[in-house]
Amino acid sequence: MTAATSDPAATAPTVAPDWFAQRRRRGNLIVNPLVPWAMVGLPVAVLVAIVVYPTIWMAYHAFQDTNMMSLFNGNWTFVGWQNFATALTDERFLNSVRHLVRYLLFGACLQVALGVTLALILYECVKSNAVRVILLILLVLPMMLPPSIVGVLWKFLLQADNGGFNHLLINLQLLPANQRIDWLGTRLSLWSITLVDVWQWTALPLLIVYSGRVSLPPAIYEAARVDGASSWLVLRRITLPMLKEVIAIAFIIRFMDAYKFVDHVSVMTQGGPSESSELPVYIAFQKGIREFQVGEAAAQAWLIFAVAAVLITLFLKYMKRVLKAQAIA
Amino acid sequence: MSQSNYRLVKALLLIFLGIWLVFTLFPLYFMIITSLKPVEEINRTIPTFWPHTLKLSNYAGIFADPGSLKSLADSVIISVANTALSLLLGTLAGYALARWIRGAAGENLAFWILSNRMFPPVAVIIPMFFLFDSMPWGTDSYFSLIVLYLVFNLPLATWLMMVFFRDAPRELEEAAYLDGFTPLRAFFRVTLPLVLPGMISVAMLCWIFAWNEYLFANLLTGTTVKTFPVHIPTFTLGSQSLWNLIMAFSLVAMLPPVILFVILRRYMVRGLSLGVVKG
Repeated sequence: MTAATSDPAATAPTVAPDWFAQRRRRGNLIVNPLVPWAMVGLPVAVLVAIVVYPTIWMAYHAFQDTNMMSLFNGNWTFVGWQNFATALTDERFLNSVRHLVRYLLFGACLQVALGVTLALILYECVKSNAVRVILLILLVLPMMLPPSIVGVLWKFLLQADNGGFNHLLINLQLLPANQRIDWLGTRLSLWSITLVDVWQWTALPLLIVYSGRVSLPPAIYEAARVDGASSWLVLRRITLPMLKEVIAIAFIIRFMDAYKFVDHVSVMTQGGPSESSELPVYIAFQKGIREFQVGEAAAQAWLIFAVAAVLITLFLKYMKRVLKAQAIA
Repeated sequence: MSQSNYRLVKALLLIFLGIWLVFTLFPLYFMIITSLKPVEEINRTIPTFWPHTLKLSNYAGIFADPGSLKSLADSVIISVANTALSLLLGTLAGYALARWIRGAAGENLAFWILSNRMFPPVAVIIPMFFLFDSMPWGTDSYFSLIVLYLVFNLPLATWLMMVFFRDAPRELEEAAYLDGFTPLRAFFRVTLPLVLPGMISVAMLCWIFAWNEYLFANLLTGTTVKTFPVHIPTFTLGSQSLWNLIMAFSLVAMLPPVILFVILRRYMVRGLSLGVVKG
């Protein structure tokens, strides 16, 4: 603690005005403009070690025929773009990409749409403040639960024969009593995972948008009311435009989290049955750590990584603009 | 829109909210009652929505099982150590980025650090698996998880602390210098109390992410070290899952983040929105 936290002392002169020079000369401060860089350097060094170095390692092995044997012998050979070609012609990998597109479209996008809707209903239609807070806590609860537990819980609920979800539908007369839906079967497995995702993560955009709505200035709404604007007009012309950035940020955060998220797949279906719920990230893990086809896994990982890099660059550019407008960045 | 029309729309919206609430709470309710049922009742062909017999001994069983207690302890050790590390490094770097390293270089650096949080960890974990495997501590250790959880918690902590430090008015710090404070003392007495709510929210978020993490723990550990998500599949008798014990254990394990959220939810919104939304 002591060594690290004494650092701010060192560079204070860059913050302090000139009168501070006297204090510096008394000798109780070390003057070194490198100290702020050292303070940033610590986490940067850690990130280089645990993120950049592995990524470069993967880039190297994406062009080698590395597998379990060659990895421990140390004699892998250069194979050019072959691993990428294998990945891009592998029907299993391409299918998982199709799964991912569907999962993001119906998962992340739906979650943001639902989250915005529910947040605004909660704020506009529930009068009592206490009720609102209680409802908010209950609605946001799933987000705080460990995803692995959520996966186990839903796997239990979605059992075809005596699962709670099928029987809830039967009790609500939404399903004939002699019928069972095979939620985790080949046809529905990915949809069920998307459903569980929606159950757990709609809470995130809900919470963010709700908080954004709370902090909008009431004076504008007062003015609109005086002018006799209808609720619909207020929603379309005031609330949604003013929440535009907040909604976009919620979308970005949710989208990037969903892009890399495989906990539910891993717990509920392990990609199955018969590969019907596999996502690219999950396949790459399996290839790399279970089958030890490191070269091919590296190529897949880099394809995933490259798409993520493009998306993240775009998203962060947008975020920079939003934060600039708020004068934080 | 006429008045009656308006009422109708509002009623429909409230019904939708109600349906969503039921959809959200039903699984949690079912989880609680399952944790109180005996195995025989769970295995019936038609599940009971109101338990016929309440069996609190499931919970007693969890707390009497050394494996379960150890997995919870492992989770505590790893998540607390990782949070402390993330917070320490994040506070230092966040302060430097907020106060001293401004301009394009600092901005790009901050966004690069944040971007690390968003990347899929797939390119990270495979090499780290082989790297740790060849090290004396191995993959199956506290150290490997404490370090690897920094992949997502360190960028978050650094970025958020930077945002909070930028919010704290610099003038107060400079006034403290005028009063004869050393920079170190000004930092601890003036700046740190100002960002304390922020630090609490960062600590809570980092802790919850580390506590809830499953993927790394599942791939890297399982024998010597076992966090609670990795422990859950062990509640079996032969090929049969003991759902009542699984649910009881899960409820115990998910209680801490839920309680933290209920108490500190006000502080969390800022962090969850990466500093954009002021809760």
